[in-house]
Amino acid sequence: MKDIARQSMSIKVESMDLLNGQIKMEAHASATYLAMASWCEQNGFFTSAKFFFKQAEEEREHMMKIFNFLVDTGGNPISPEVTGINHDYSSIVDVFESTLEHEVKVTKSIHNIVKKARELGDFATERFLDWFVMEQIEEENTVRDILDMIEVTGTEGVGLQMIDNKVLDWID
Amino acid sequence: MNVIFQSTYYTLYQAANERCFYIDFGQKTVRMSLCQLLALRHKLMSINIEDHFDSDLNAHGFEVLMLCNKEHLFVLNTLEILDLQRLVYNSFVSLGLAVGAMETVTS
Repeated sequence: MKDIARQSMSIKVESMDLLNGQIKMEAHASATYLAMASWCEQNGFFTSAKFFFKQAEEEREHMMKIFNFLVDTGGNPISPEVTGINHDYSSIVDVFESTLEHEVKVTKSIHNIVKKARELGDFATERFLDWFVMEQIEEENTVRDILDMIEVTGTEGVGLQMIDNKVLDWID
Repeated sequence: MNVIFQSTYYTLYQAANERCFYIDFGQKTVRMSLCQLLALRHKLMSINIEDHFDSDLNAHGFEVLMLCNKEHLFVLNTLEILDLQRLVYNSFVSLGLAVGAMETVTS
């Protein structure tokens, strides 16, 4: 019997479901960073706003990378619905702490898909996610460095202005 | 045509010479590509079957399914939906595209 299914699709459907979940997560991250950029603009942190605009773009690129992978492997990529974006932050520290929390969540999700792909023997998905595993190390490190800088600078006096100016170091 | 999987109400066939699949729904047989089968799987996964047991969320316990880019329309009850889910999930296992099969939910 001809294997029409395998000829049409080169990954497991379980991996496809998890990658569709990841598409949604990346879209949510992109929208969240856009909300953070908006908060920064409204509260006078203009350099930080630029940082978050760039982060929002990057997350969308990640989403499209996964979307295109599903197209290339004959899967069924689903355009995500994004709801429940938080626009309220108590301070710039809260913004960056939330960012780190979000990145850790994304990292855990990527690791979970790698683990599942390995269990399924889905080598294509596992290898595809190599790039994301390394990218998440960089993403987490960037935010951790910013939080370290905030701690060193302090938020008293001109500290907040200095923090915003220093964020420029993490915008390529 | 080869039978890929048969559930209580439905049967999925593979037509190798046409490079497609057929689902026999009883009252009619629908031709599908793998992409359309994936789309059906997604629709079935999106159904919250628990809503069928809450008259506020699903008053009559029916689902309207449009298949193959709105070419076919089916109105299915709870048992039929559960059986179609079982057919589709297990067919993907039989086709070698999924690992986890679904247990029998209808008898």
